[in-house]
Amino acid sequence: MSPLVRRFAEFVNDLQQIDRAAGRGEAILDAFTRHTTFAVGAVYLREARDLKLRLAAKTEHCVAPDIFEEEVPADLYASPGQVVVPLRCGRDQLGVVKLTGEAKHSEEDLEVLRAAAAFVGTLIANQRLAQEMREGDFQLKYRLWELESLYDIGLSIAGTLNIDELADEVLFRMISLINARRAALFLRDGDSFKVYRSFGEVDLDRDALRKLQSDGAPMTLWSGTTVAVPIRGNNAIIGVLAAADHETRDGIGPFEENELRLLSLFANQVGIALENARLHREALEKQVMERELELAATIQRDILPKSIPTVERIDVAALSRPARQVGGDYHAFFDRDGVLSMLVADVAGKSMPAALLVSALHAAVQLLFAEGRELGDIATELNMHIHRWSAENKFITAILASIDRDAGTIEFVNAGHNPGYLLVGGRLETLKSHGLPIGIISQSKYVSQTRPFPSGSAVVLYSDGITEAENEVGDEFGNGRLEELLRERINDSPAALRDLIAVAVDTFTGTAPQKDDQTLVIARLA
Amino acid sequence: MTEELKVSVDRKSNGAVLYTKGYINNVGGEEIANRAYELMDDGVRILLLNLRETKIVNSIGISILIEIIEKMMDQGGKIAFCCLTPVIHKTFQIMGLANYAAIFDSEDAAVKELRLNN
Repeated sequence: MSPLVRRFAEFVNDLQQIDRAAGRGEAILDAFTRHTTFAVGAVYLREARDLKLRLAAKTEHCVAPDIFEEEVPADLYASPGQVVVPLRCGRDQLGVVKLTGEAKHSEEDLEVLRAAAAFVGTLIANQRLAQEMREGDFQLKYRLWELESLYDIGLSIAGTLNIDELADEVLFRMISLINARRAALFLRDGDSFKVYRSFGEVDLDRDALRKLQSDGAPMTLWSGTTVAVPIRGNNAIIGVLAAADHETRDGIGPFEENELRLLSLFANQVGIALENARLHREALEKQVMERELELAATIQRDILPKSIPTVERIDVAALSRPARQVGGDYHAFFDRDGVLSMLVADVAGKSMPAALLVSALHAAVQLLFAEGRELGDIATELNMHIHRWSAENKFITAILASIDRDAGTIEFVNAGHNPGYLLVGGRLETLKSHGLPIGIISQSKYVSQTRPFPSGSAVVLYSDGITEAENEVGDEFGNGRLEELLRERINDSPAALRDLIAVAVDTFTGTAPQKDDQTLVIARLA
Repeated sequence: MTEELKVSVDRKSNGAVLYTKGYINNVGGEEIANRAYELMDDGVRILLLNLRETKIVNSIGISILIEIIEKMMDQGGKIAFCCLTPVIHKTFQIMGLANYAAIFDSEDAAVKELRLNN
């Protein structure tokens, strides 16, 4: 190998160590000063997308400006004690090496410099190309990741029905999707929006939130460093996604149009997910309510009489039809020494609270009747008991009646209940209310009334579910229809009357749903 | 949730495990890079990044992690990750990190496979 070739090979070997970016200028300068007669110099390089040649390295005592303003020669330019070596690749001006030295340079030195400059130019160009390809590949993968993220977000958050988990997922996803440093999820709270979850603080004042609500359009604030987009539900804006401080490699800056568009797309997915979560929550609440209704219905079913007592000379029939939504109808029979007592009551309210009150009523009347008290006392005691133990605004309308077959009388108390009917001697009489419903005020006292009840007489007790049964257009069955029926069939047996009334009510209501419990108790003295 | 990333290191006899807690963004990524480069300068050639307490990583953070991987590969070493959330795992796969760094479900599995000694 000739000395020239060996020299060039060693030069190239050093140049091959030039790194992609860091320390590139120093490495070039080191190789050029080590393998030539020049000990002093400077290297200027032009970075991609930069028009200026900027100082990349210089030897310790070299005086060199930061920018190379001189004209760069097309080929190596040599003058006594100085040489300017352009670094090119094709037409691309990549840099320049300016060397000075006291020693005289030979033609061979210049040829080596020229060849080394060509090698460095090609090397830098290749490295830049590789870097651009890597960056392009990264950007391509990043766009793919954005698309995958949007798709995944749809699947992931749509499958998350817990609102807290959903909020976390939304925040994490949006932060990484748009390279935000801070973010917040606002959800509607009445007429305004409140922060539901946040990562850092996002400065979004009431005016901005109001504008988002009225315009329904994405917005940028604080010179683009904060962005906010509305989240749309089925019919309204249900929340806001806001992000602040768009990250770049060098720090933070404003968000670009692309990020705002991505955030809007993301908000669409979030809107669907939030609506799903809301519907799921409502379905769960409905399930709980239905379980409660079922339990209430069971309680009510269990405390209603399983059979009607058999009392000599007294024929009794009863009907109990609970509505789907549990109401609070209750009825009971008590037989003591040939005296048949009946009670029909209606507890205010629906569902479990009503069922619990019915349960309390049931326990109390069982005890009070077992003690053998007269009806007025029973009603008065019941009133005190219910008033003390039930919640405010809970009350019970009730009608209690006792048939004394030997005395041929009927004693009754009507505490705010619908009027009962007496069918006596071909006439229809009413047992009207003569006291407040039970449980309204603690001082209520009830005094029973007594009417003649000769053989052949009948008594009809019922709840308002019968007379207030509505048809498809909202008309009520009414007391008029009931009375007309009772007058027409005044001599029918209790069972026949019961069935007749039930059919008449059903025919009247047609396909309209039963809104309230229906209770009917009829007794006739033979 | 915290904005700032916290890094802790468990130095092993033949490598290190680096634990991250928080957001891997530009600031967090630089913090990891600084600690990783310190370890490399100290001769570490097997580095396991346990991301168990990291829920978010953005593209800047990913690009910094790629640079750490490249630098370690240039020095003949290897980097691996473990305990990634499903979202971050998928992100690493799409962004190509999984081509140059092994990913393990657990730290135990990673330590065993990388033969990291205590």
